[in-house]
Amino acid sequence: MMDWREYYRKHRKGIVTATSGLLYAGGWSVGYLTTSDTVSAGILVLATIVGGYDIAKIAYHEIESRTLGIKTLVTLAAIGAILIGEYWEAAAVVFLFSLGSYLEGRTMRKTRDALQELLEMTPDVALVRRDGEHVEVPAREVEAGELVVVRPGDKIPVDGEVVDGESAVNQAPVTGESAPVHKVDGDEVYAGTINQEGALDVRTTGAGADTTLQRIIRRVETAQEAQSPTECLVDRFARYYTPAVIVLALGSFAVTRDALLSLTLLVIGCPGALVIGPPVSIVSAIGNAARNGVLMKGGEHLERAGKIDLVAFDKTGTLTKGETTVAHVEGFGYDAEDVLRFASIAEKKSEHHLADAILEAAHDLDDPAATATDGGAVVERPGIPGPDDLEVVAGKGVVAHHEGREILVGNRALLDDCGVTVPREVDAYVGDRESDGETAAHVVLDGEVVGVVTLRDELREPAPGVIRRLQDAGVRTVMLTGDNERTAGAVAEQVGIDDYRAELLPEDKQAAVEAFHDDGDVVAMVGDGINDAPSLAVADVGIAMGAAGTDTAIETADMALMADDLERIPDAVTLSKATLRNVYENVGIAVLTVVLLLAGVLTSYVHLAGGMLVHEGSVLLVILNGMRVLRH
Amino acid sequence: MMNETTQFRVMDFDCPTCASTVERALAGIAGVGEVEVHYTTGRVVVEYDPAVADPDDFAVAIESQGYKPRPA
Repeated sequence: MMDWREYYRKHRKGIVTATSGLLYAGGWSVGYLTTSDTVSAGILVLATIVGGYDIAKIAYHEIESRTLGIKTLVTLAAIGAILIGEYWEAAAVVFLFSLGSYLEGRTMRKTRDALQELLEMTPDVALVRRDGEHVEVPAREVEAGELVVVRPGDKIPVDGEVVDGESAVNQAPVTGESAPVHKVDGDEVYAGTINQEGALDVRTTGAGADTTLQRIIRRVETAQEAQSPTECLVDRFARYYTPAVIVLALGSFAVTRDALLSLTLLVIGCPGALVIGPPVSIVSAIGNAARNGVLMKGGEHLERAGKIDLVAFDKTGTLTKGETTVAHVEGFGYDAEDVLRFASIAEKKSEHHLADAILEAAHDLDDPAATATDGGAVVERPGIPGPDDLEVVAGKGVVAHHEGREILVGNRALLDDCGVTVPREVDAYVGDRESDGETAAHVVLDGEVVGVVTLRDELREPAPGVIRRLQDAGVRTVMLTGDNERTAGAVAEQVGIDDYRAELLPEDKQAAVEAFHDDGDVVAMVGDGINDAPSLAVADVGIAMGAAGTDTAIETADMALMADDLERIPDAVTLSKATLRNVYENVGIAVLTVVLLLAGVLTSYVHLAGGMLVHEGSVLLVILNGMRVLRH
Repeated sequence: MMNETTQFRVMDFDCPTCASTVERALAGIAGVGEVEVHYTTGRVVVEYDPAVADPDDFAVAIESQGYKPRPA
């Protein structure tokens, strides 16, 4: 049973509001039902004092710091009203303002919930193995390299790598993914995520401030605290508006000697709804996005994202799985197996992006017992010899020499460069394969085309659906790729994208993005945070996918998508558009209210109490409207 | 001048101007350097010289404005 003093302190605002309300109702009814004006006046003045005491205290501080806040204006209005004998108005103004503030405070708290949730996910303690014992320490004091034990059901206390154990982890706090992710030796885990049934030993890579969760929190805070362009505009307007209304109030008093009119003008002098509206929309949007694993950089970026006309996608790894595999091998005068073997000799040590796929396919040819299996990294595979020398030509292929013979593996451009003629039947075959969305690598031995290896990089399943959702949202889509025209065209059709640019070298992608921008479009670019960083930086809105493991992406991308989930892209774009709309709605409501109030006051339709009612109503309206974005 | 920073969270700001009066109130305390008050997130950051200012005074100053500061 709580001490009544404590209860009062905790619920002071609510109690004060309720009391002043009751007194106000009491005073009004006494005045209405009896003829005792003095009693009624007395109760109303009491109501004003009870409700207004806290407000006046803050007004005093406001004046001390030379700001003109609404509390000062309300206090002045209440005192003024009492002085001219309008006790009812004084009590009503104070009560309505208290009620309004109370409701505002409670609803605003909900917009801060998303950030609050993130803060609560911060782990407190960690079980560290030190000197053979398990010691419980504050989570932020764990040092890099230390071994942390995570029991089933525990919150993972640090960022690290699993060294022993197997489990499923709910990564929702960091990536927004609701389905638990399977973790085994070598997998990365994040602080703040929740371990399920297995036990895990984790080697710490980051703790305390150096964790992904902390970076997310800092990012959300900074984003919510930054002022967007609309907010700056509104702020500047408010700074002129308040003194202007006060001058108007004094002026009108001088002209009309109508004190009530002037006092009412004072009360509507603070453009509450205008100043509170946009921040509520933006903070709600950033919070909502963060809950779903999308980190926005700030209100400015959100507003810009709301104006996106075009979304450009880097093909490989974004629209596709990024796992190129050999689809067909065709020999022209040679066995397919030999063609593959020649190709793999050339690609054995190369960093050519098709090398892995070719070597993988060649490995299947060889005696499995003689070679070692690997996760797919480029390794030495005994059985296939390496080239004597190798030259990688960026964007075109490789030129190798082996046992006195020259092997080329690459596209038409490479063959043209090396003066190799391509027989018509090879061209026709390549044309066919490319129209099917495959990429062709010609294999050339001593200047003669001996075969063609074609590869394909499968589309991600959600890709066509995601493109359609973006198109439904009124956004155009473009694919950027280094593939040749025909392959690109085929892939573009498969995924349903509006347009594409093919045969792009890395620096061309940047130029393509800039070209769209110069054409007047607001361009968003989707890619991974590392390889596509230059293009992301040039775009109006850079969207980095799979950002959870990349610290720089979290800190620099305009939108960082924590999970590697394509569906988040249309989610983020529609959220931004809805937010921008919401901001404009709030500004509209606020401006309309101000105009109507000014008109009402100046034509004497609206008095103190009415003015305060409408003012507080508009503030609550914009807050509630802004909060709709939380549930988008 | 050795500077330390302390942070609070005030979850019940109900108006952006109110946030700025808190900012000015804190800045007026002796020994206080930079003050950041964020209406949107409720974050209050105070940079101060521990030899001159006492962090408890900050909480009191915030309370006197009618708000409830919580340690961040």
